[in-house]
Amino acid sequence: MASLAAVCRATARLSSNPAVGARAFTSSSRCLAAQNFTMPALSPTMTEGNIAAWNVKEGDSFSAGDVLLEIETDKATMDVEAQEDGVMFKILSQGGAKGVQVGTRIAVVAEPGDDLSSLEVPAEEKAPQPAESASKGGPAASQASGSSSSQAKGSAVKTSGGGSYEHKLPLLPSTGHLAAQKGLSQEDLSKIKPTGPNGRLLKGDVLAFLGTIDAETPATISSRFEKLGHLDLSNIKVAAPPKKEEPAKKEAAPAPKAPVVENLEINVPVSLSKVVEVQNKINDTLGVFLPLSTFISRAADVANADLPPASRQPTAEELFDQVLGLDKVKAARGTRGVYLPQISAITPSSFVSAPPSKKSDIIDILTAKPKKRASPPVIPTVPGLSSGANVFSLVVPKAEEERAQVFLERCKAILEEEPGRLVL
Amino acid sequence: MLASRLIPRYTVRPVVARSTLPKVVSAPALSQWSRAYSASSDEKDLVIIGGGVAGYVAAIKAGQEGLNVACIEKRGVLGGTCLNVGCIPSKSLLNNSHLYHQILHDTKNRGIEVGDVKLNLANLMKAKESSVNGLTKGIEFLFKKNGVEYIKGEGSFVNEHEIKVALNDGGETSVKGKNILIATGSEATPFPGLEIDEKRVITSTGALSLEKIPESMLVIGGGIIGLEMASVWSRLGTKVTVVEFLGQIGGPGMDTEVSKTIQKLLKKQGLEFKLNTKVLSGDASGEKVQLSVDSVKGGKEETLDAETVLVAIGRRPYTAGLGLENIGLETDERGRVTIDSEYRTKHPHIRSVGDVTFGPMLAHKAEEEAVAAIEHIKKGHGHVNYAAIPSVMYTHPEVAWVGQSEQDLKNQNIPYRVGTFPFSANSRAKTNLDTDGLVKMLADPETDRLLGVHIVGPNAGEMIAEGTLALEYGASSEDIARTCHAHPTLAEAFKEAAMATHGKAIHF
Repeated sequence: MASLAAVCRATARLSSNPAVGARAFTSSSRCLAAQNFTMPALSPTMTEGNIAAWNVKEGDSFSAGDVLLEIETDKATMDVEAQEDGVMFKILSQGGAKGVQVGTRIAVVAEPGDDLSSLEVPAEEKAPQPAESASKGGPAASQASGSSSSQAKGSAVKTSGGGSYEHKLPLLPSTGHLAAQKGLSQEDLSKIKPTGPNGRLLKGDVLAFLGTIDAETPATISSRFEKLGHLDLSNIKVAAPPKKEEPAKKEAAPAPKAPVVENLEINVPVSLSKVVEVQNKINDTLGVFLPLSTFISRAADVANADLPPASRQPTAEELFDQVLGLDKVKAARGTRGVYLPQISAITPSSFVSAPPSKKSDIIDILTAKPKKRASPPVIPTVPGLSSGANVFSLVVPKAEEERAQVFLERCKAILEEEPGRLVL
Repeated sequence: MLASRLIPRYTVRPVVARSTLPKVVSAPALSQWSRAYSASSDEKDLVIIGGGVAGYVAAIKAGQEGLNVACIEKRGVLGGTCLNVGCIPSKSLLNNSHLYHQILHDTKNRGIEVGDVKLNLANLMKAKESSVNGLTKGIEFLFKKNGVEYIKGEGSFVNEHEIKVALNDGGETSVKGKNILIATGSEATPFPGLEIDEKRVITSTGALSLEKIPESMLVIGGGIIGLEMASVWSRLGTKVTVVEFLGQIGGPGMDTEVSKTIQKLLKKQGLEFKLNTKVLSGDASGEKVQLSVDSVKGGKEETLDAETVLVAIGRRPYTAGLGLENIGLETDERGRVTIDSEYRTKHPHIRSVGDVTFGPMLAHKAEEEAVAAIEHIKKGHGHVNYAAIPSVMYTHPEVAWVGQSEQDLKNQNIPYRVGTFPFSANSRAKTNLDTDGLVKMLADPETDRLLGVHIVGPNAGEMIAEGTLALEYGASSEDIARTCHAHPTLAEAFKEAAMATHGKAIHF
């Protein structure tokens, strides 16, 4: 896992110097100077680590796959391997160094064959705070967290130069077996391009390398799996809004229809004169002033009890209760309402001269004017309570017309006939 | 599992009934009586609509990741369709009815003679309910443990960041979220022309809580849900006929060879099948429910009748009352909320996972997506491998599969190699006297990479996990064959099928 390539990839992200990243992938001659080797992040969450020991000394050459050093984190001790051949130029954080921040320069390495005496130690890049990159959140965080897989891919999919791949170990049983059978060396295996999930070397890859099967087959299968691995979100046919609405409404009969309910206003004139009478009487005898609102709220409270059910489709809940036989247990008949009447006063003058409903005359008959159903007389009102006549009104869905009507009639009866019983 | 998600009882709760009541109109003088609407001003990191498998898993995961999260559920209990009226109660009924059936018919030749065997349906249902209650309470506990705020009520979008909740206990609240997850699930698709009353014309929900064992039952739809429910009631004594439009049972995803095998086995158990048959219309007005059916090709019209008709023709996304239109969110032709590959809707902070969006309607798929969605929110990366999602049908024997089926590969002209191993050659199945079925593997003929695994047989649902793992790691059949399997186990049949795929099985 902790290959140098992966390490350098992580480093490349953390440092601002692109040459460091490039180094991991190419052995190009343009990198004449020695390269900084920074503390690698061995896991996405690692921020610092201890250097347990260096396995190479300054001036030692190493080749790809050699363990350069051991790093201790709070979780484990891990080996860091070299991905490419090179020479250890300088070790800056000796074995035993504690709490070395990720991204801090810990050594300087050179190309194999470089003349160490003539090399310069490059300036240290700013060691970026890992917290900084983590706190970027969003896409930055995504990159970091996705890195465990992409790093692995990075190390495996490296194609430059002769094409050398670091394979995940242990090899799959079939792959390891085949390699042993065919006498493939470690070096041979590292030439095989893996096509498995997360850069895993598969049996097919080795077979393709050996020429037993078509060289392209493993990659073809992998791309097929890659495609199957995702939801097919192509060709989404977005439902035209009204079209969608229609079948949904038709099929889902018990579905809530609340948003499209047609509302209806129900008005009942109620005289509060009796209430005022009682109010005065109480005030006179007991010296307590009861506001009109008290009477009305108590009347509404009484009137709300046990209202007839609204005429609507039974809900799925009710159907389910029926299946379970619960409907007989629950009081199924009437239900308690939650109505509160809206009250507006009728001005005395308009109340007296409420317009009589107009009768149709001969002209109307002759002109065959479509006769409108005599609408309930519109009573001009003003907001507020009057001690005389008032209009109690409710706005309800059409299905609840009866329910609301019963409620208002009850309010009227209570307030006009025996308001005294509400408070005594 | 399709089997997992039966019908949601969700459609309308008392809350909704309340919301159809009139808005209280308060006159100035009465204003002090107007109901107080509380609105929490603080914004959550994540608000999840739906406490089903997708929603509750997302909520717990988000809590674990340190997000300030609220989960809105209107059923009154968590777990959604799966726990309340789907996978879990159906498994209880399947397991216990199998036990009953086995005692009745399959103990003598094992040397066990049982006296009077009686079925107590009420207690059978009680056992189911106690399983369900235990599990749903468990989730509630996990919510508390992980600091998830649980809001019981029906949520609907006010705007892109605010959700209004009509509380189950009455009243209303609203909650704001930086991120929002739509996980409202699905409901059973009704059959046009047959009104579901959950007594005589039932969906899977009704089939899980019938009060008496019906004499006869017609099942419209021979998919996983239909066959599981058919099995339960058939074992308890109902005469069951399954009417299926397609030419095979188990749904289009099941391997044809496996489908034929399980059909034979179910037929032996007493189920009757009418394949390639479409239901023209239904009539529930008479003493018995009548269905008029015809062959798909036509010309064979007939009338079937039964005491109960189970409608199991599939499920559809459930978004009623969610107010998607208030924030301009789109659904596709089948009502699925449109998303991108990171589960984002048109509004990037609103995501959607589970049955309400694309992909197979399976509880475990919803779970995977829920975790992936939270990882997208928290870490910027999450992924579900849709190429390795197993399906299981919990009949007896069970049927399970993962990856591609033989007909899939044939249709796409993909070359493949087949290896099978029958349970009749497996030592453990033999000792269990439970030898019906086989393991079938499909692999690439050149690279030997595994393409699909199909099992019909005892414990297939547990065994498929190995196939899923193999697919996830890109294994070849040889990799499975070279992995040691304990003896004597049913899983050895899995290994032997792998051997048969790239070479020869030892024991067959």
